[in-house]
Amino acid sequence: MNTIDVDRSLCDNHGQCAIAAPAVFRMNAEGILEYEATVEDALLDEVEEAIDVCPVQAIFLKN
Amino acid sequence: MSTPTINVPDVPYLDISDPSFAMQSEALRSAREQSWYARTNFGLAVLRYDEVSKLLKSPQLIQGSAKWPAHNGVHGGLFYDWWTKNLLVLEGEDHHRIRRLLNPAFSPRLIKELVPRFQELANELVDAFIEAGECEFVRDFAEPYATRVLTILLGIPESEWPKIARLASTVGLALGVTFKQDLDKVEAAVAELYEYAEELIKDRQADPGEDFVSRLVLANRDGDRLSDEELRNALVLLIFGGMDTTRNQLGLAMQSFMRNPEQWELLARRPDLGGKAVEEVMRTNPTVTWVTREAVEDFTYQGLFIEKGTTVHLFTQSSGTDPRAFPDPGMDLLGEHAPHYGFGGGVHHCLGHFVARADMSEALPLLARRLADPHLAGGDEWLPDSGNTGPVRLPIAFTKRA
Repeated sequence: MNTIDVDRSLCDNHGQCAIAAPAVFRMNAEGILEYEATVEDALLDEVEEAIDVCPVQAIFLKN
Repeated sequence: MSTPTINVPDVPYLDISDPSFAMQSEALRSAREQSWYARTNFGLAVLRYDEVSKLLKSPQLIQGSAKWPAHNGVHGGLFYDWWTKNLLVLEGEDHHRIRRLLNPAFSPRLIKELVPRFQELANELVDAFIEAGECEFVRDFAEPYATRVLTILLGIPESEWPKIARLASTVGLALGVTFKQDLDKVEAAVAELYEYAEELIKDRQADPGEDFVSRLVLANRDGDRLSDEELRNALVLLIFGGMDTTRNQLGLAMQSFMRNPEQWELLARRPDLGGKAVEEVMRTNPTVTWVTREAVEDFTYQGLFIEKGTTVHLFTQSSGTDPRAFPDPGMDLLGEHAPHYGFGGGVHHCLGHFVARADMSEALPLLARRLADPHLAGGDEWLPDSGNTGPVRLPIAFTKRA
């Protein structure tokens, strides 16, 4: 199982991950990030793109 | 419901189009102490860190520049067509789709591979003036460095940099107050950049490699690709957005370090602080002095009614030195600071920031290692503080260190 961990002390809620991987990351009505803690293999490419694109590099993946 | 902000005595007023308007001034600091926002001759200005941070990412605000050509009486033509279709002003799914297709080419892992080239380039430029003990920093370093980094990224001959620099600066006139007068020049420059970009795209489509433009040409998301027009628009945006900003930011970095010589010495001893140097310069002395947004609907924020269509300027330097977020706001490469908004933020966060961060974080420690005691040599000229600022000319003198 693939586990996603966002370092909330770094996350600045820019929402770039929600653009890159909308099936996994989304911004709620208050503009705060919500995300799936675990993802299927089929979504790994999207998640990798979200990790890359995060301006503050706050997203981590554990396989 | 509506609370008019005109003539409210406790809300400061800033004339941001006055050529002498200064971001780093007592007037602005005192306005920031008085209120989180100010009225200006073009909408609102947000001055404090928390409010800038929140409003920058607010879904109630969109990028505020889409109507810029129309505001200047320009309703068609090459620049108009490009501007209204480029990532900078697109919103919603139109924006997200293009951004998803462009993002992978800008991956920090891929940009890192270019670092040795950046170092080589910085050394070559310094070699040319180091023995003289003086240089015109914009002409001799900031401009050729910023532009040649782009040619490296685009995979075009570095010898063509003066042409790219000229074209980018000419298109940049479109953002100035004299846009309408400069329109013919701007149109000609866009036409020339189009030709340049189209040739580059055709070349990589015929023979794709591992380079940046090939990655854009091959970009594919669930079967969706960038059209030739979208590719061309993106390359022109990269040249337009990547050159002046980096040149200006490098000039401002030199200014910051000349004002903080102990930080320059620290950087010379600790090149590993190159990344921190970029962040600190951009927090305390950013080239993009404000980020423009426009209210997409009526809303109330902190008791202030903001009417649909209101222009909101989010002040970067003011927020980055707000004592509420930075009790000791001066430049400090060893300090732990909250993130700055010199690259904007939210969905329109600068696309090229990994490139800018990577190239500047190589250039600054390399300069510090080779130039001791840089100081103003007289004759410096500056852009106004409204919009994008920086030195036009920056003659400096120094002692050769290495």
